[in-house]
This record gives sequence, C-alpha cells and structure tokens, in this order.
Amino acid sequence: MQSADLAVDVLLALGVLAELFCVAGILVMRTTLDRLHYAAACTTVPAFLVLAAVLIREHLTSGGIQAIAAVALLFFLNPALVITTARAAHRADDPDSSA
Amino acid sequence: MNAFLVAATVLIAALAPLLVVASVRPPIDGLVALEAVGAIATLILLCLSVGLGQSTFFTVPIIAAVTSWIGCLVFARFLGRWT
Repeated sequence: MQSADLAVDVLLALGVLAELFCVAGILVMRTTLDRLHYAAACTTVPAFLVLAAVLIREHLTSGGIQAIAAVALLFFLNPALVITTARAAHRADDPDSSA
Repeated sequence: MNAFLVAATVLIAALAPLLVVASVRPPIDGLVALEAVGAIATLILLCLSVGLGQSTFFTVPIIAAVTSWIGCLVFARFLGRWT
C-alpha cells in the first residue's frame, strides 16, 4: 500500500468518524441549540477531512476544484443557516421575543 | 469496493438516526436534523464521485450543497414566522 493510499484511508476514516460523532450528538443532546451545535459541526472538520482525502486522490484537476467548491459552499453558507435556525428556535421557546 | 465507496456507505447509514430525529422530535429539531442531512448528503455525493471514478459527477455535490442550503433556509424562515 502506498503512502498516498494510507493517507486517504486515514483521512476518510477520521472524516466519517467525526460525522458519526456529530450525528450521535444530534441524537443524544437535550436542547435544540445543543443539537444545532453538532449539526453546524458537520460542515467544518469532517468536511475538510473528506476534502483532503479527495484532493490526495484527485489533485487539482477539475474534479478536485469542484470538490473544493462544494466544501467551501458548505463551510461559508452554513453559518447563515445556523443563525436563522437559532432565531427560529429562540422564537419557538419564547414567542414574545423580537429576535 | 474502494475506501470512498465504503465511506459513502457508512455515511448513508448515518442518515438513519437523523431520519428518526426528524420524524419523532418537534419540527425545529427536525429542521436541525435536515441541515445535518444536507451536509452529509453533500459529502456522500463527493465520496461517490471519487469512488465511482466519474469526473462528471463532481457537479452534483455543488448543486446539492446549494439546494439543501436554500431549502433549509426557507424552512427556518417559515418555522420562525409560524411558531
């Protein structure tokens, strides 16, 4: 097994384990905001670990650049979604608030 | 079956608990689960693109990332308005 294949396997395993950790957090946590914390984490470290594995395999070909674009979209767009969801959760908890 | 296909399979299996959360818990928790599903689905499509060796498939995760984000944003806005 070449070192690149080993690196791909390790990065993919770490990325998938991190995603499973986030899913477990969404399943186990008690409040909505705690679950949202784990849902937001899905788009950070695990996504970049999978992206690193993809880039080792694909290099900077068109596929690699499109993979970078997909993960960048996840990473940069998700905070707006998290804020909007947190506001909705806040309103659900306290309907009189103006948030 | 290469590592990317194995990773995609495990990630597809990880969607099942989120489906349970989305169907059993209150709507706002279902929305949180839906957001996680969107992110994981994008990574699944990315792994499938590499695993199947089709470079034309790499467009699909980009489209999935954008469309799932827009869908969740609409749900969040309406949930915030109606609750």
